[in-house]
Amino acid sequence: MTGDPRVCIEGVSHAYGAVTALEDVSLDIADGEFVTLLGPSGCGKTTLLRIVAGFERPSAGRVLLAGEDVTGRPAHKRATNMVFQRPTLFPHLDVFANVAFGLQVAGVGRREQHARVREALELVRLEGYERRRSHEMSGGQMQRVALARALVNRPKVLLLDEPLSALDLKIRLEMEVELRRVHRETGATFVYVTHDQREAMALSDRIAVMNAGRIEQLGVPLDVYRRPASVYVAQFVGDANVLPVEVVEAGAEEATIRLGDCRHLVRSSRAARGPAWLVLRPEAIEVRADARGTEDSRTLHGVVRDVAFRGTGFRCRIEMPALGTQVKAEGRGSTPPFDVDDAVSIDWLPESCWLLPREHGQAVPEPVPDPDPAEARA
Amino acid sequence: MSPGRFTGFMTLAGMLFLWLPLLVVVLFSLHATASLSFPFDGFSLRWYERVFENPEVRAAVRNSLVVATSTALVTLGLATLAAYGMSRSRSRWRAPLSLLFFLPITLPGLFIGVALLIAFSRLEYSLSLVTVTIAHLVYVFPFFFLLARAALERLDPALEEAAADLGATGWTTFRRVTLPQVWPVLVGAACLAFALSFDEFVITFFVVGPDPTLPLYIWSSLRRTIDPSINAISTLLLVFTVLLFVVTFALTSWSERRRRGTVDALALTGVAERG
Repeated sequence: MTGDPRVCIEGVSHAYGAVTALEDVSLDIADGEFVTLLGPSGCGKTTLLRIVAGFERPSAGRVLLAGEDVTGRPAHKRATNMVFQRPTLFPHLDVFANVAFGLQVAGVGRREQHARVREALELVRLEGYERRRSHEMSGGQMQRVALARALVNRPKVLLLDEPLSALDLKIRLEMEVELRRVHRETGATFVYVTHDQREAMALSDRIAVMNAGRIEQLGVPLDVYRRPASVYVAQFVGDANVLPVEVVEAGAEEATIRLGDCRHLVRSSRAARGPAWLVLRPEAIEVRADARGTEDSRTLHGVVRDVAFRGTGFRCRIEMPALGTQVKAEGRGSTPPFDVDDAVSIDWLPESCWLLPREHGQAVPEPVPDPDPAEARA
Repeated sequence: MSPGRFTGFMTLAGMLFLWLPLLVVVLFSLHATASLSFPFDGFSLRWYERVFENPEVRAAVRNSLVVATSTALVTLGLATLAAYGMSRSRSRWRAPLSLLFFLPITLPGLFIGVALLIAFSRLEYSLSLVTVTIAHLVYVFPFFFLLARAALERLDPALEEAAADLGATGWTTFRRVTLPQVWPVLVGAACLAFALSFDEFVITFFVVGPDPTLPLYIWSSLRRTIDPSINAISTLLLVFTVLLFVVTFALTSWSERRRRGTVDALALTGVAERG
């Protein structure tokens, strides 16, 4: 084996007529890695996956598999296999014939076909389903068969195009566990496409956050969550409060920011004096009920506008008159120590927030709405 | 008379108008005497026997079978390819080409017949069962094309991508994935092509050579004499054609049900179809 990355995407651009779907995207994926392309619908993630599979030919750039240029090679000559968004089982064939399809096309002998189909069905925990037809199975089972149908060919690279988005939440969570196990057991390289940031973080070794045909950030889930490269990433991956602040003092490890009328310390090694965005995750915010007469310039005061119980804790929206906006906060426990219309103050630890550069006069960004799976399906 | 009874009466009258002539033909094909009018003198199969004994009728039936079978088989091949190409093409000529493929459905038989007769005589091609078959191809192609294209366009294109992804070439995909899903419709459409060809009269009339097809034989013997065995031939033709239409309908609707069956299963398990 060479030292080349398993999948290498080099300066790939793609346009559908006048619409640009991808703009100069480059990405190296190591052997055995689980990489997720994450983004809203229309960001180009599926197009990129289809280019790697060979269903689309990029307008510019190259695709290399294990060092070999496959840009002009059609899908049926590539050593990749794909699991589609909908379970695309051949309706006229039973489970065995579906899974064995790739082996039969490749001319694998009958005995080996049987052994490998059994092995693949064991891998997705569907032993004994050989004679079932697609209409006799649930959506989750069909997607497992589709997974077995791809894995039976022992692909070096498995491409997954939102394979769980058509399933119910409960089955989706079970399938995530299965996918992690299958990835561990096969050791194959997985390239996964999803619009669901929770899924991306739960599954991936690395996440490529995509926006408008470009990769905005590439990194391990924790980095993408804790140290987003842009306001867009901060808002798309997880929930975030993005607040306009001024950096008044920039030190080697800490910076002092002005937020409304008060000053705060932020752990940051790359802040520069001037305007900036403060990224605050809801769970990093500490909310305290205000005792009367404790107002000082160090704390930010607000009024609770909404409280919702969330099972593992509660979530609230706090109106901050000094900032002219609402802040989302999350707390643990069964009952919040405050109610709607209560006066509260908020605080956070210097290491639990993140600063991003901001242009003068740049407006407060519109938060990216959490993609609704129902809408993505329509 | 109440409105309900009036509509009932009109429906009955309409049905009688449509079906009575047919029933009379069928009834007199079973008549014991040569009389073609009432009173009815009892049943016999003598006219059917006479039909089967008549060498001219046998020759005409054979001619029609040869023409209809060739027409159905050639159409099955050509129109399936045309429909597959049109349903998978991404070309901007796809819509106008498709239109050209099925537009001949609107041409009057008289027009097709005259046009082909002129063409054959210009080419100095002598009229025979071959010219009849060519004429029938022109006539049935659009019907087959429309049925086949509709069936192919209803297929999920992702299935063909899945096959390609698993290493299947275009031809293997067509043979192992596309064809197994649409063959009932194609066979049904071929039955329809056969039936259309088998009892075609107007176009055949212009381009037929020395060997008559069955409809032409019936017409020419009617000109000579009104023989009750014509009733028997017509009845046989009727039964045969209706049977072919039943087969066509059964195959296309079975294929549709089979396809829907899987979609319904998807819907039941909460897997929504992406629009």
